Amino acid sequence: MSIQGIQIENLSKRFGEGDTAVFALKDVNMQVAPGEVVGLIGPSGSGKSTLLKCLGAVIDPTAGRMVLDQQVIYDEGWKVGDLSALRRDKIGFVFQSPYLIPFLDATDNVALLPMLAGVPNEEARRRALELLTALDVQHRAKAMPSQLSGGEQQRIAIARGLVNQPPVILADEPTAPLDSVRALAVVRILNDMAKRFNTAVIVVTHDEKIIPTFKRIYHIRDGVTHEEVGEGRLPT
Amino acid sequence: MISLAGRDILHAWGKFIFTGVGLGLLIGVTLIMAGVYRGMVDDGKVLLDNSGADLWVVQQATLGPYAEPSSVPDDIWRSLLTQPGVAEAANITYLTMQIERGEDDVRAMVVGIAPGGAGTLGWPRYLVAGRQITRGHYEAVADLASGFQLGDYLTIRRNQYKVVGLTRRMVSASGDPMIFIPLKGAQEAQFLKDKDAILMQRRRTEANPALNRPNLPGLLEAVLASQTTNPSVNAVLVRIKPEYLPQAVAEPIERWQRFTVYDREQMEGILIGKLIATSARQISMFLVILAIVCAAIVAFIIYTLTMDKIREIAVLKLIGTRNRTLVWMILQQALVLGAIGFVVGKITATFAAPIFPKYVLLLPIDSIIGFVAIQLICTLASVVAIRMALKVDPAEVIG
Amino acid sequence: MKIFGLQRRTLALFAVILALLLLFIYVALRAGPLAPIAVTTTQVELRSLAPSLFGIGTVEAGYTYKIGPTHTSRLKQINVQVGDLVTAGQVLGEMDNVDLADKLVAQQAATRRAEALVEQAEATQKFAQAQVERYESLLASKNTSAESVALKRQELALAKATLKAATADIDRLAAEFSALLNQKENLQLKAPAAGLVVARNSELGSTVVAGQAVVELIDPASLWVHVRFDQVNARGLAANLPASITLRSQQGVSLLGKVLRVEPLADAVTEEVLAKVIFNEALQPLPPLGELAEVTVQLLSLPVTAVIPNAAIRVNKGQRGVWKLTQDQLVFIPLLLGRADLDGYVQVKEGLNLGDEIVLYSEKALTAKSRLQITKSLVGKEQ
Repeated sequence: MSIQGIQIENLSKRFGEGDTAVFALKDVNMQVAPGEVVGLIGPSGSGKSTLLKCLGAVIDPTAGRMVLDQQVIYDEGWKVGDLSALRRDKIGFVFQSPYLIPFLDATDNVALLPMLAGVPNEEARRRALELLTALDVQHRAKAMPSQLSGGEQQRIAIARGLVNQPPVILADEPTAPLDSVRALAVVRILNDMAKRFNTAVIVVTHDEKIIPTFKRIYHIRDGVTHEEVGEGRLPT
Repeated sequence: MISLAGRDILHAWGKFIFTGVGLGLLIGVTLIMAGVYRGMVDDGKVLLDNSGADLWVVQQATLGPYAEPSSVPDDIWRSLLTQPGVAEAANITYLTMQIERGEDDVRAMVVGIAPGGAGTLGWPRYLVAGRQITRGHYEAVADLASGFQLGDYLTIRRNQYKVVGLTRRMVSASGDPMIFIPLKGAQEAQFLKDKDAILMQRRRTEANPALNRPNLPGLLEAVLASQTTNPSVNAVLVRIKPEYLPQAVAEPIERWQRFTVYDREQMEGILIGKLIATSARQISMFLVILAIVCAAIVAFIIYTLTMDKIREIAVLKLIGTRNRTLVWMILQQALVLGAIGFVVGKITATFAAPIFPKYVLLLPIDSIIGFVAIQLICTLASVVAIRMALKVDPAEVIG
Repeated sequence: MKIFGLQRRTLALFAVILALLLLFIYVALRAGPLAPIAVTTTQVELRSLAPSLFGIGTVEAGYTYKIGPTHTSRLKQINVQVGDLVTAGQVLGEMDNVDLADKLVAQQAATRRAEALVEQAEATQKFAQAQVERYESLLASKNTSAESVALKRQELALAKATLKAATADIDRLAAEFSALLNQKENLQLKAPAAGLVVARNSELGSTVVAGQAVVELIDPASLWVHVRFDQVNARGLAANLPASITLRSQQGVSLLGKVLRVEPLADAVTEEVLAKVIFNEALQPLPPLGELAEVTVQLLSLPVTAVIPNAAIRVNKGQRGVWKLTQDQLVFIPLLLGRADLDGYVQVKEGLNLGDEIVLYSEKALTAKSRLQITKSLVGKEQ
């Protein structure tokens, strides 16, 4: 069993007990290979966020199995011990808002993750700067988050998600606050980075502007997913 | 690893410093409270130090001369000198009274000092201006705290005294400034009756046929004269020879001369254990309340600071920051806040102390205890904030 | 520019922290028990002390005359009031010895009776003489016995003695009469010397016992101040030293005087030496007797010696001495002290040399380890 990227099987999440029990997720199956960017689309209340939280190892599923980068994370009630280390090392997060740490400058916002993993400060900063360069924001390396534009902030946030070279990146509405040009730019970056670092990327969105860019899309409605093939048109 | 707490403080240093200054003012008040207590204890100690005595001989079964009135004949000091181990003995009187100073008056402790020149037991041990008393009458050395200046005249009972010298930190156990005057004047001030009382007594005596006998000229005068003598003092101060133990000298005086004798240790016990005991408890209550208020404020401040960062904490948790890293960050901020507060408080207390009417003594040991206590309080106070940070759900960031 | 913004902020923070720390260190070291003790210093100087003595006394009259009867009697007449000036011999009043006149009459009668008795004795003696002569001639003619003659001779001797006694009795009665006359004379109260009436103790009709004063006179020229000096300071007090006297009712006015004498007896109870100080000039008006007076006696100037102010004297381990400064080292020097004057200077007999720098005033009690801060003055504007 060698599963690259991320795979979930029959994942369920139930809130409440007995009569009041509500299933947010019902037997969800999903697989994303390294280097692949998939979209996860669904209306509000469809279970989109719950799925993302389960994928991000933030909340535990009630049942089902999840394998991440050849490592079993959940299996029918069993789960890995140190979830915070797992999040740090295996999962990169990009949020709707950049959620940068306001008291750290751009470099340190990115470098914080390797530092938390025990990488020496110099090395962590070097890696961060590399990524910032790759994302073309190296000129703002010393700026504080409050001094950055929205697009710049989002790029820094992406850099943060990438810096530990996680096998999977979860992007939660990464383009919501951006205009279409910038939104597409972010998607392009995500695609570039997925290829470059061989990372599986799951983009949760309902942004019509970027839906056509996915090759594969998972629709979620009432806790159930349907896989469909996307247009896969990535503008150049 | 970079210091998250340090970066956060650096980022919001204005808020941090101002909060620290606010806390510091509160800590300053706390330190001053402790200083007030130390000052009261010190008042008692300087009172004993200034007397220069090793033993206090007072009226039998009294806690005199500071805590209770005591009266001993003014000639026993001579017989005390013959006791083994006694190097020096001197009469002394203490009388706390209001003394007129210009328009208003000042509360002061009038000390009657035995003749004998500078260095005699009971004399002021050091001056800050002027000279020691040289005349046997009508000269005074006053403490700066009384507000008198060199050359001023002060009135004690019937007599005017000229201020010839000034002292500093010569106070009674309750912090009243001392005014030193020659013993005879002080005895008069304490034991002499007022003019009307003397007049009435004379009349009564004259009307008494047993004392006013026509066939015994001179008897009435003799009786009247004997009524106005005042051969008492409040205590005799005794300095003992270095090779003797205080108790060994005190024991025969108590046993054979029928007086009560206190040594330095017992006297401190009386002054600090009895005279200021209630005030000390009062102040310690204040200290406890202030400590609680301090803790509450630090807790509130740290709580608010953490509250402001709740989203960042959630993000940090989500991206995999360990709990202990977050705990340490909050704790560090609390400790730094405590340190700033302490420094500001110490500075405030030091500059505010001289303004207080009573002596405020800030001891280094109190500052050290205060620092440790503040850091402990800050640690405890940050517990609430830490608990909250630990409860933050990283999932909040998503969705 | 934004990079600089960060640095400026960091710099400002460090500046604030540094300022706080500096202030904290200053506060820790410059205030409280760790602070250096501010002191002023002075030098041992050469000076001739002119010590003076300060004492308290009451105004008294040098001579007080208490005039009263020698026998218990009733006051019949009094001529003077308090405040009157009287001359020597002036009659101040008269006593009434109620039965003196009767006593004189009785005395005269007794004298007359005694004279009669003398006459009777003379007659008896003449007859006895004649009898003796007759019997002696009868014995010569052997007409009577020797025994009878002896009897007559004895009768004569008795008669002679009786006459002598009677004569002496007259003398006694005459003398007693004269005594009564004298006593009558003495009922007048006369001033023994010129003076001022200061008290009139009895009024007309009062009975006064022997020795009780009716009128008290003083000699205004003999006014003096009875002064008490503390024994510890009274060295050098002697007659004829100049003194200045301030009466309680005349604060600020000092009168000149001199020591008349130092009393041979000191007051053992109050531990004071007593002396009489007289005014150089008679006072007009007279101060009330018993008024309090402050007296400063100027003693003879002493030879020039090393002196220090008494404020510098401290006690350390039971010894009197001073804190001496040598190359910023504080050393306690026990001293042997000499005379002192009222301005607060004390002679140093042993322990210090001229020009030695010693601590004069200090904020606190000193120890050998005290850190010092030498200043000009410890009290605002005082020098």
